[in-house]
Amino acid sequence: MKVLWQIGIIFGICFIGEGIAMFIPIPFPSSVISMVLLFLLLLSKRVESRQLIDSSNFLLRNMSFLFIPAGVGIVQVFDKMKGHLFQIFTICIVSTILTFAVTAYTVKGAIWLRERIRSRGEEAC
Amino acid sequence: MAQGTDTLARGGSMLKEWLSSPLFGIALCIAAFAVGVYIQKLLKTPLANPLAIAIALVIAVLNTFNISFEDFNQGGQIITMLLAPATAVLALSVYNQLDVLKKNFLPTVAGCLTGSVTAIVSVLLMCRFFGLDQTLTASLLPKSVTTPIAVVISEQHGGLASITVAAVVITGVFGTIFAPLLTRLFRIGNPVATGVATGTSSHMGGTTAAIQMGEVEGAMSSIAIGIAGLITTLIALFL
Repeated sequence: MKVLWQIGIIFGICFIGEGIAMFIPIPFPSSVISMVLLFLLLLSKRVESRQLIDSSNFLLRNMSFLFIPAGVGIVQVFDKMKGHLFQIFTICIVSTILTFAVTAYTVKGAIWLRERIRSRGEEAC
Repeated sequence: MAQGTDTLARGGSMLKEWLSSPLFGIALCIAAFAVGVYIQKLLKTPLANPLAIAIALVIAVLNTFNISFEDFNQGGQIITMLLAPATAVLALSVYNQLDVLKKNFLPTVAGCLTGSVTAIVSVLLMCRFFGLDQTLTASLLPKSVTTPIAVVISEQHGGLASITVAAVVITGVFGTIFAPLLTRLFRIGNPVATGVATGTSSHMGGTTAAIQMGEVEGAMSSIAIGIAGLITTLIALFL
């Protein structure tokens, strides 16, 4: 019953998220809206994280499993991608590596900059 | 003779009915994933990724036994449906790392911004370089953001949703396998930077790896999916 209740809360939030996604004018995924919704509920203490711990651990630990059908779905578009397969794979992989590096170094740089400004501020005092 | 083929045909249609049960797709996925996990334990390398192995195995089984994707997807779509609640509960990992987020909010947004721009610009340039047409370019453009956002952006620019989903999945699987290796290769050495970079470059796929790297990595990667998705949506409006 405990787990059933948890699943009920999570699915309920997702269903409301889907409703909100339909009404807002910009295309934004319902799953991310549900994430924000649950986050706000946690912040406002309407939901406590231990109340959801079993089912959320189940979902988080098995997340990569949930991607199998989407991955298998690639076979459907194989014909459309034929002849460009090498290019598509190269673009996806190279672009992902570049994005990873640029993002990581930006975050590191911004943190470094913040620490420097902070230490200068302290020196000035 | 005629009776024989009749029985055979009846057997075939019964087999088809049996395999189109949702339980078939779900059981096949679990079995394939179990094999993937076993192979990874055996080889002890992140390159033997359970998800990638499972996808390859399922495709091989469907091809070998001539089972249609539609039959498989009766069960498959139930698993896919669980992705929405799985994304929602990422809020818990974000909430548990609230202090880290508060402390690093500006660097996180800055990283998502430069990362999203890099993703879009690099795809555009490489599509030009390979001489790909507008449809393919538009389909690949949003490949670093999570599927629902990517599909909308793709269609707005004349892309095909199915190719976009494929590109998003390729990116995600690549992220799952290589995020830990890239972290070492680029000597990131900062869990916040690692998390944001993983989520921005390879959305949910990468996030599954980030969660395994650590709590901070997982939480920052989850946040980055949302922020990078939002930023990419905004940039795409001006393309």
